[in-house]
Amino acid sequence: MTHSGEYIRVRDLDVSYDGITPAVSALSMDVAEGEFAAVLGPSGCGKSTLLHAISGVVQPQSGTIEIAGLPVGAGRGDDSVPIGYVFQEHRLLPWRTVAQNIAIVLRAAGVADDDVDPRIDHYLEMLHISKFRNTWPLRLSGGQRQRVSIARALAIQPAVVLMDEPFSTLDEVTARVMRQQLADLWQRSNQTIVFVTHSIREALFLAGRIFILTQGPARLFDTIEVSVPRPRRYEDPRLTELEAQIVEHVMDEWGYGANSGEEPRE
Amino acid sequence: MTTEQVVSLRQITGGRLQRFQAFTVASLLALAVWQLATLISDGWVPSLWRIMEALGEDASTASIYTDMWITLRRIFVTFAAATSIGIGLGVAMGLNRRVMAFFRPIVVMGLAVPDVVYIIVAILVLGTEESSGLIAMVLALIPFVVNIVVGGVGARDPGLDEMSAVYRLRRLRYLVDVVGWQVSPSLIVATRTCFAFAWKLIVLVEALSQPRGIGAQIYYSFRLLRPDHMIARALLFIVVLRLVEAIIFAPVEKRFLGWMR
Amino acid sequence: MTRSPETTQNLGARLRASWLDLALGALGAGLPVFLWWIGSHTTTFVPPIGEVIRAIPDFVTGEDIWPDVLVTIERVAGSLAIALILGFAAAYVMHRGGLWGRVVDRYVGLMLGVPSTIAALLALYVFKRSEVGVYFVVSIITFPFVALTLLQGLRSADRRLDEMGDVYRLSTPQRLRHVAVPHLVPYTFAAVRNEYAHAWKVVVLAELFAVNSGMGARFARAFDRFRIVDAMLWLIIFMIILLGTEYLLLLPSERRVLRWRGSGMEGNR
Ligand SMILES: Nc1ncnc2c1ncn2[C@@H]1O[C@H](COP(=O)(O)OP(=O)(O)OP(=O)(O)O)[C@@H](O)[C@H]1O
Ligand SMILES: [Mg+2]
Repeated sequence: MTHSGEYIRVRDLDVSYDGITPAVSALSMDVAEGEFAAVLGPSGCGKSTLLHAISGVVQPQSGTIEIAGLPVGAGRGDDSVPIGYVFQEHRLLPWRTVAQNIAIVLRAAGVADDDVDPRIDHYLEMLHISKFRNTWPLRLSGGQRQRVSIARALAIQPAVVLMDEPFSTLDEVTARVMRQQLADLWQRSNQTIVFVTHSIREALFLAGRIFILTQGPARLFDTIEVSVPRPRRYEDPRLTELEAQIVEHVMDEWGYGANSGEEPRE
Repeated sequence: MTTEQVVSLRQITGGRLQRFQAFTVASLLALAVWQLATLISDGWVPSLWRIMEALGEDASTASIYTDMWITLRRIFVTFAAATSIGIGLGVAMGLNRRVMAFFRPIVVMGLAVPDVVYIIVAILVLGTEESSGLIAMVLALIPFVVNIVVGGVGARDPGLDEMSAVYRLRRLRYLVDVVGWQVSPSLIVATRTCFAFAWKLIVLVEALSQPRGIGAQIYYSFRLLRPDHMIARALLFIVVLRLVEAIIFAPVEKRFLGWMR
Repeated sequence: MTRSPETTQNLGARLRASWLDLALGALGAGLPVFLWWIGSHTTTFVPPIGEVIRAIPDFVTGEDIWPDVLVTIERVAGSLAIALILGFAAAYVMHRGGLWGRVVDRYVGLMLGVPSTIAALLALYVFKRSEVGVYFVVSIITFPFVALTLLQGLRSADRRLDEMGDVYRLSTPQRLRHVAVPHLVPYTFAAVRNEYAHAWKVVVLAELFAVNSGMGARFARAFDRFRIVDAMLWLIIFMIILLGTEYLLLLPSERRVLRWRGSGMEGNR
């Protein structure tokens, strides 16, 4: 791949939902092929919007986004890179069972009929939700739905996975198991993952690089390389130390500096 | 029009006994008021007794069933045409801005034209054949269906559209599995409304232009100054319509709306 | 890429889009006219557009049409008012529930299915060719729809009352004044706006069968005597009055009264 250093290439991105108030402004960042990138930013700053733009469902006001050298957005052809997206909300079809929800995207991704069922079984197993195979999403808990959404994104085995706070609705123990599995899965594949989270430790545990955004409208504030060798341990004291440093580092920028009192800075 | 609420709101509450009670009270009260009207109007309003007699007479003539069958067939033909065209157009308008921009004024005008005008114009242009009245009905019904369906399509969850785009669902898949299911409640409202309005309109069409059919019979009795038969025939056909609704619409609705519960 | 020109470009794209929409809308509105044009060329009895348009000034300035127009407007307004009162009463009783609620529900359900033609023919028997018959037909046909819209309003006001009233411990008159009434206003508007168009269409039918005056009767007379130009003119006047009052009077006044609510109301339209 010629673009390996900038597999996902975001340049001068401006996104606005109403055409007036910007949600993302002049954001540039690059994600390398096979990289696990985490995105941190204060609530409402535009993280989900960034993923929306990368996936092509939101048209930027200006700026460019390319994946593997191809522009994303409307008219994304069949030859463009397949994307799995775990939305912040589950976005499952309520009138289809868990298995049918996954089967629909598998078929759309061109998976052969014979492979559909085994694939579904495999990923449901991985996310510990096999017993809900034939249940409707509205009968599941929030965390169970979120795991179905993750299974759906991973099952098409896409080159790029976008994840928007995928573990935020899970209990801590389940979340840890899931994080470990995701880390293992990523190491075995060469998928490129962009992972939005509010948990700094989660970002440190999973990612090779962390992109820190500013308050909304989001710009890139800083990029942090996580050089702790894998496999990592969630309780690793080095992660604790890095976490404290990052909190210290963003405090000012996110509007909680010494001079700004309790109010977020404008 | 507000018939949307007809389906969602008219759920009679209470148990079997209470409903029976209400039905009895409603019927008795209506009968009493009717009888009073008969007395006051000295004979212009037919008495219950005469209506009962007419009912017995009509129900035992074979030709009335032929008329009912003719009218039912007409209702079904226009209903099928109007719902399929209306749903297709409504979905296209709801999904595509250009289609919406083009058809919106036509639908607004279509809603404003009185039913009588459709029918008279159709008779003038196409003659008094059966088909001209039916075409007029279809034209009069389509705007209602479109209006309801457009509302349903417009209220769909944009999140699921985005999901479908990311996972590149094929067009047909998207239409059936994503749009279709979200729109299904409003499709049911649309078909119900269309059916109810088709019945209201067919009476007019048949009265104005047809020799056979229940509407023609009703109008015929009117011209012969036989209000008792007029009412009896309308009542008989209303019973048939209720049966059709209970047999066809209720089960379909149950099946389609099952996932919501 | 520089950033400021982009925004203007974007604005440009939006303007273009809205112009395109307008153009398409005009094209759509032109379609019936086009069909008319074809009709006038292929058949003998559809009059040419030009002839009808030329006849408009004389028709509108003539003394002769306005009494009928006014009488129809009066009938629409009057029967709508009756339908509103009946609808309110029915919705209130249905909302209270119990035996009488269910009884009224039965009647509303029955009335919903009554064809206007049958109502008009019955009215002819009962009221002969009197004015009362028209009012009877229009209000009896439209009131069940009003009742159902208002019932929906009452139910949602109820939900609000439960949510707010309990928290803030409002007294009953306070509840009525601050929650129930403001909540019912939009539903009343919706009922009026929806049934307004309905009433116009029913009134034409009632006039056609039951009386000799009004736009419906004139329209029918024009057709009976095969004066197609007149019939077309009546149809045009009818649609101008209906759509004009709906879009220039009802909709703006509704917006004005309801502007505090922000976006539209749930469950309607
Ligand atoms: N569909 C939308 N329409 C209009 N504005 C929106 C929409 N979605 C988001 N916004 C606005 O864009 C800004 C960024 O929202 P976004 O969802 O990207 O934030 P986020 O960083 O993901 O927040 P969180 O961490 O809470 O999920 C917010 O100010 C929000 O109000
Ligand atoms: Mg978000």
